[in-house]
Amino acid sequence: MHPVTIVFGKEIRDATRDKRALLVAFGFPVLAPVLVYFMMTAIIELKMDAEKITIPIVGAQNAPAFIQWLEEQDVRLEEFSGDAEQAVRDKEQDLVVIIPGNYQRRLNELRTISIEIVSDGSRTASQPTVGRVHNLIRDYNREIASLRLIARGVSPEVMRVVISQTVDVATKQQRTATALNFIPLYIIMAAFVSGMGLAVDSTAGERERKTLESLIINPVERYQIITGKWLAATIFASLGMTLTLLLCIAAMSQVSLDEIGLKFHVTTPQIFLMLIATLPLAFLVTSMQLLLGIFAKSFKDAQSYIGLLTLLPVLSLVYTMFSPIRTEEWMFAIPMLGQHLLLVDVLGAKDVPLIGYFYSAISCLVLGMALVLVTARLFQRESILSN
Amino acid sequence: MIEVQSISKAFGDVKAVKDVSFIANNGKVTGLLGPNGAGKSTTLRILYGLLVQDAGSAQVDGIDIRSNRLHAQQKIGVLPDSHGLYIRLTAREHIHYFGRLHNMDENKLESRTNELLKILNMETIAERRVEGFSHGERMKVCLARSLIHDPPNILLDEPTNGLDVMTTRTVREMIAELKDRNIAVLFSSHLMHEVSRLCDHIVIISEGLVVASGTTDEIRAAAEEDNLEEAFVTLVERVAT
Repeated sequence: MHPVTIVFGKEIRDATRDKRALLVAFGFPVLAPVLVYFMMTAIIELKMDAEKITIPIVGAQNAPAFIQWLEEQDVRLEEFSGDAEQAVRDKEQDLVVIIPGNYQRRLNELRTISIEIVSDGSRTASQPTVGRVHNLIRDYNREIASLRLIARGVSPEVMRVVISQTVDVATKQQRTATALNFIPLYIIMAAFVSGMGLAVDSTAGERERKTLESLIINPVERYQIITGKWLAATIFASLGMTLTLLLCIAAMSQVSLDEIGLKFHVTTPQIFLMLIATLPLAFLVTSMQLLLGIFAKSFKDAQSYIGLLTLLPVLSLVYTMFSPIRTEEWMFAIPMLGQHLLLVDVLGAKDVPLIGYFYSAISCLVLGMALVLVTARLFQRESILSN
Repeated sequence: MIEVQSISKAFGDVKAVKDVSFIANNGKVTGLLGPNGAGKSTTLRILYGLLVQDAGSAQVDGIDIRSNRLHAQQKIGVLPDSHGLYIRLTAREHIHYFGRLHNMDENKLESRTNELLKILNMETIAERRVEGFSHGERMKVCLARSLIHDPPNILLDEPTNGLDVMTTRTVREMIAELKDRNIAVLFSSHLMHEVSRLCDHIVIISEGLVVASGTTDEIRAAAEEDNLEEAFVTLVERVAT
């Protein structure tokens, strides 16, 4: 057996028996999708709630046709009696709609009817609902006006000189992908969380528990020992990433996104593409963790350094969210940012240039190997045994 | 055979080893005796290939440790002064791990492991994880994994430190058996009776220098004392002044 294989095998066996570390390593990939599910469900419910409003109304019996039209627009109405202004002032109601008693008469006389909306302009929370009611009344007005014009042989278009129309170039999938920015974040974070325990335990931990001296007395090159540990940590990190990806996708498919006009559909080839896009990151992340583990003076030190390291992907995500950037090919070569961009594109069913995969994989692998070499050099020093 | 010629080693300003020379022959037990901080562990670590001496030479079976570390490490079995174990591995797995790192063939590894488990009387604990092992049991695991590849030279750093009577006896029997098999045994200790009972050849180190070496009789003669312990104290104090 090759020394790298021997060290690799021992580290994997050792780590799979550490129940607590396993819980930390794979608890995250299991929890993240649960979080995704509840967040998405909450977002959808909020949107649905905003659309389904209840309007307290006075004098509904004065305008039966209007009331029927409102009910067709998915608006719930409730009869209101009492002092409307006082109720709004006391924050018992967001708004009250008052239909005047002369509604039917003025309608027949073709005169303008004014419907009062009693609201409090200082209350920002009720503004969307008030705006919605204004829009509804405007829509009803346009509909009746159009009918009157048509009855007189005039096209309703004479009333509409100029209108604006939005052309949204984002596909439904893409809009979903931006809403799903956190799935790439979770997958990238899994790379940090899942391999961390093994990386720290097999470096700083080995030193702390005084097993390092006996290990390096064996006739094996130090870089071979480090490589074995590196590959073992990478396997853990990759498993964590794959698990997070699959479970997040499973969670998303359980969320009824179509209710808010979004679409989420991932095919098997896309899953493979996403894995190809992200797994090289595992090699880099674990190499950083090993380096810190060897560099740290103690186990505790190593844990705090590596904890700080985990903030990196969060920063990269925040950057892409707050300063929308035009994706350039070279950006794929930046670890984490590259993976993030690739994932967003694949989730959004956009074509990613092949060179993007190449850049992101190669940069992670090359940097990872360079860091492992540095780690091996540090591991070679005589002072490795003295803390 | 282990040959050390005028090695020295400094850590910054601290000269841990100034000038140490000795030979540990095959079939002999050589004791490295000295007070704490005398340079015993540093000397041994140079022999393990963990430290590189500043000057002088150290050889194992004629192989220079500095220039041919891996080859030299194949020729030695080491019980270092730190007895750390992987708490989630069993005794047998520890022995296997080290045997494999010595590139042992799997069949030979298995038979040699069983042989050692029997000699060290640890068959009942072989499949247990070492977490919760007593000090003596841990020591036996360390000893077994250092002997797994059947090395022609054995280096033991304070092997009976803190052991109970039964385990100490096992270790002593082990050393006698290794000696009979024509293996060079080098061990360090600060326990006088241990050294006088087991060693054929004693090397006394103090402040990084060899202050005396030879058989117990020769040491006593050099110090002009009848008692070995008195001789040791006299020799060490002679250097200090």
